[in-house]
Amino acid sequence: MSDPTDNGRDTSGRFVKRTAEKVHNLHTPSAEGVHPLSQILFGWTHSKGIGNIIFWVLLVLSILVLSVDFFVERHDYLKFANYSGFYGIWGFVAFSFAVIMGWPLGHLLRRDENYYGDAGGPPEGIDPDAPMADEDAAPHHSSEGDV
Amino acid sequence: MPSVLASFNPGWVLILAGIASLFITMRQVRQVVTIAAPLLALVLLVTAMPNVDLATTNMLGLKMVLYRVDSLNFIFSLAFLIAAVLNGIYALHGDDRIQDGAALFYAGAAVAATLAGDLMTLFVFWELTAISSVFLILRAGTRAAYYAAMRYLGVQVLSGVLLLNGLAYVLKSRGHLGLEAFTDLSDPGVLFIFIAFGIKAAFPLLHNWLQDAYPKATVVGSVVLSVYTTKLAVYALARMFPGQDHLIWIGATMTVFPVFFAVIENDLRRVLSYSINNQVGFMVCGVGVGTPLALNGVAAHAFADIFFKGLLMMSMGAVLYRTGTVKASQLGGLHRSMPWTTVFCIIGAMSISAFPLFSAFVTKSMIISEVATAGYAVIFLMLMFASAGVLEHSGIKIPYYAFFGHDSGLRVKEAPFNMLLAMGIAAFISIFLGLPAIVPGFGHEWLYSLLPYREEAMGYSHHHLFSFEHILTQFQLLVLAIFAFVLLKRIHAYPPEKRGVILDSDWTYRKLGYGLATWAGTVWGKAGPAMSAAFFRMTDKAYTWIEAAFSPRGELARGGALNGAMAMWTAALLGIVLLLSFMAVG
Repeated sequence: MSDPTDNGRDTSGRFVKRTAEKVHNLHTPSAEGVHPLSQILFGWTHSKGIGNIIFWVLLVLSILVLSVDFFVERHDYLKFANYSGFYGIWGFVAFSFAVIMGWPLGHLLRRDENYYGDAGGPPEGIDPDAPMADEDAAPHHSSEGDV
Repeated sequence: MPSVLASFNPGWVLILAGIASLFITMRQVRQVVTIAAPLLALVLLVTAMPNVDLATTNMLGLKMVLYRVDSLNFIFSLAFLIAAVLNGIYALHGDDRIQDGAALFYAGAAVAATLAGDLMTLFVFWELTAISSVFLILRAGTRAAYYAAMRYLGVQVLSGVLLLNGLAYVLKSRGHLGLEAFTDLSDPGVLFIFIAFGIKAAFPLLHNWLQDAYPKATVVGSVVLSVYTTKLAVYALARMFPGQDHLIWIGATMTVFPVFFAVIENDLRRVLSYSINNQVGFMVCGVGVGTPLALNGVAAHAFADIFFKGLLMMSMGAVLYRTGTVKASQLGGLHRSMPWTTVFCIIGAMSISAFPLFSAFVTKSMIISEVATAGYAVIFLMLMFASAGVLEHSGIKIPYYAFFGHDSGLRVKEAPFNMLLAMGIAAFISIFLGLPAIVPGFGHEWLYSLLPYREEAMGYSHHHLFSFEHILTQFQLLVLAIFAFVLLKRIHAYPPEKRGVILDSDWTYRKLGYGLATWAGTVWGKAGPAMSAAFFRMTDKAYTWIEAAFSPRGELARGGALNGAMAMWTAALLGIVLLLSFMAVG
């Protein structure tokens, strides 16, 4: 990277293409491998207490969309769908049920990765520089409360 | 346009280009072919004269309509061809003749099948999709991919054989193989065809070839596979079985059960395979309802699905390409190094979850609205459940576990530019289709104007689509479901991603069936030689007896036990013959 001086030239006297350089900086990952665009777009997800903020924002939003429903006259063909808050409650219940069922179903249906005896590495033709996936590593996600 | 070109099925362009690609060793030339061929095919399709038999032939006294465009197959083949262009772009980073050739050939066969004007032509290209697509799985080169490819081929060819079998019955009863819809499933020929379509559409219990094979294909392969086979089957069902009541329940079941599997599945490409099942379920259900608006919904949702599902598959392909894995338990935090891919994946996730202003919102709602209008309360509840479910596995799980969540520490390069370009175009289409018509023909109205029943679609668009209550109810469903996710995470009630395979109906043939076959093989391996030995001992003994009696050195030749009595025996035999003759005459 060059070090531009005020006259628009870098230390070795060459003109600096400022825009091009900005663009270049925008897609050149840092030494830690972090893409600069990721800071701009998703930097907020790293801020402290973001999990709490998202939780409360969604709670407020949920209450809002449910309460607005009381003031709207709906015209669903099916009678039960016209009750205020039906869609929200059904969405909440359906989502929770599908997820909670994951516990017993996981116990019932999950087997060792080589259960069928044909486990192997990743397919051919992937990036030759790809980091080797650690096949024997323990699961990373022992606790995942970091929403 | 010259008449030769006008009667040239766009699918054949891709098939020929696919065959050519197998022999083009120069990478740049092949890259041009893989993009140019679908573009040329698009021009042919768009300029084709509708509702006319553009190419026909006679074979063994059977009239075959090789190319016919109408409002239903136009929209399907349009989506197939645009997807072929995107797939071509997505594959540009690699240099694989067989993959390029198979992808083009497969896409071409699907387009040619869609544009077929009779069932025999449909059958021919139906089989060709099976035979060409298997190479996309085989090229992955792993042991698991090889076995999965063989199972895939077996199931796909079974579908073709059932279809041909059904055609033979139908030809006998109907006297022709035209595309008039079937109504009576009790006719055995029709039932065979129904099951053949059902296998490719991945009906419940016939579904597992999909989750078995697609996640084991190459990076590019699973993107290509996710577009064609199931959507071709949806087209075939919409063409031949509109309003078939059974499809309503079959479709609704298809939307619900993959949700549970997708929650516990660790392989994110396999999660997307369940998601294909789930989305095709909505389409199958719409075919079953069979009203003009429901069929509009089927065609529109297939169109939208090809791009948002392709987009999600592409993003997972990019992750696999860069990191070497798509296991949720090994990923996380990739937004740090792959922000563009993250953005495109989120767009795909929001599209499939039917957020307002994204594509599925304007397509899926037509089907659900028609189910409600027809008074199917239970089906309606199932579809709403599945809508929350798709938000769970495709809307949240895919982006969350790959790009956010626990940081896996993986620091990789952003996806190659060609992949980003293909994802960018697919993302653009997914958003564009969901936009309100600020000017006539813009956004969703462009899609609606291509639908088979244009008037009904426009009526729906004007009266209901972007009404306040529709947007509100959809937001309610989504916001509360997302809140459920955050809440469950907060109280640690969300099951962690664990390594392992999840058993599904393929267990019956991969474990039970295979086990039985192996057992039968072992038993036969022991019983076979024992039985042959016993047989040889018996024949040996019999031979010895016969030889002892009849050979030149045998008992009878020497007179033996009958010594001196030979003449008497002969006389007795002659006497019996004479007696019988007298009886016969008398």
